[in-house]
Amino acid sequence: MSTSRDDFSIAIRSALLQRGAKQKFSLFVLILLSIFIFTLDNANLKPVKILRSLLNDGIYRISAVSSSPIKMSSSTKDFFVNHIFVYKENERLKTELDELKTKKLETLYLKTENNKLQNVLKLEKESPYTVVNAKVILDKNSPYLNSLIINKGSNSKIKLGMPALHEGYLVGRIVEVNFTSSRILLLNDLNSRIPVVISPEGSQAILSGSGKKKPNLQYLPENFKLNDKENSVFTSGKDGVLFPGIAVGNAVFDDDRIVVKLLSDPDQINFVSIALEQQTDVGAR
Amino acid sequence: MALIFRGFKESILRLLPLFLLIYICISEFHTQFYYWEIFSFNLQFIIIYYWILRDPDILGYGFVFLCGLINDVVLSLPLATSAMSYLFVSLVAAYVRNATVRTSLFTDWFTFVVAIGIGNFLYFYLMNNFAEANIEYTTIFYNSLFTFIFYPVFWGLFEVYRQFSFARSNA
Repeated sequence: MSTSRDDFSIAIRSALLQRGAKQKFSLFVLILLSIFIFTLDNANLKPVKILRSLLNDGIYRISAVSSSPIKMSSSTKDFFVNHIFVYKENERLKTELDELKTKKLETLYLKTENNKLQNVLKLEKESPYTVVNAKVILDKNSPYLNSLIINKGSNSKIKLGMPALHEGYLVGRIVEVNFTSSRILLLNDLNSRIPVVISPEGSQAILSGSGKKKPNLQYLPENFKLNDKENSVFTSGKDGVLFPGIAVGNAVFDDDRIVVKLLSDPDQINFVSIALEQQTDVGAR
Repeated sequence: MALIFRGFKESILRLLPLFLLIYICISEFHTQFYYWEIFSFNLQFIIIYYWILRDPDILGYGFVFLCGLINDVVLSLPLATSAMSYLFVSLVAAYVRNATVRTSLFTDWFTFVVAIGIGNFLYFYLMNNFAEANIEYTTIFYNSLFTFIFYPVFWGLFEVYRQFSFARSNA
């Protein structure tokens, strides 16, 4: 009994302290060093924060360059897939074109009417948000984290909590800001929680990421039922961080749960707009 | 000149597992596939465990530590979280190397369970207690399960590569 315990302690001591012919550090030293770095990082000291921010900027750039072969292979795959489905796509586009022709006439009428009304009110035709556009340089996801790295940071006035939009739809919010880069936590991440409102009833809920493509709707009112025609989900702005009224997706039933089909596919994001502030003239919307 | 070039080529070929580990940590290489939502595995654990067990001169502990730090920065985790988890996987591999005389796929595979268990438990504990992140037990469980299942596949590939590399250096 004591012999086997001795064998175990000798083997573990040897594993911890032994250095091979080409090993410069023992495992024991490196584990201690890791604990020291971990403690420093958790202490949230300002010099450590600055150092980490610089380290992040540097590694993100290297990471973006080293990921280019993966990005290229992914775009080549998309190219071939698109060509395979070109006939089906053509049929779909023809139908869509017919629908759009009809809608165009309607839009033209509404545009004219809108112009007339705006002239009456003397409003400037502005976007509802002041945005800064950024390119996604890295979208490394782990099983536990769905986030994107963009090439704009505090040098472009980006701050923590700002909403990230893709084609006008919400895709996430800023959770880390470095000098020349930032990280966006996507809506489908397990840690993402966004207060939303479901139209047309105006029911309040929390959009909660599940790690899957369609985030869940939690804390819905009792006896909540989905509308037959429309179930659009918008930000409610109740948290005081995100602006209200940003389109997020459509509420649908999936496996007996109410989830949100996002308007912007989190896997297809190359560029994002970060909403810095909402225009004070809400009427311009 | 030809000898120098050959030596350089040999060392590049020999250090391929190290380059692979660094590349996986620094690039956008995904081990999570959305088509099968529960499917994800930890290729870093497999590489570290196999090479520390079989040929520790290729994958030094210092590089394992460095790769962990890079992974933490890229994934925005508290610094040294992955580094600690990788080092504990290395510790199990080094222990198994010291404690066993003759290893086979089965001894490697079943002792790998202990390495995955310790590595992922440490990761889970640090993330849930020190980071503002929420990790589900099931995600960790499926990740561990698929990492375990995939080990023999990569074991086979690495064995072929190791023998090829060994034969070249002896030629």
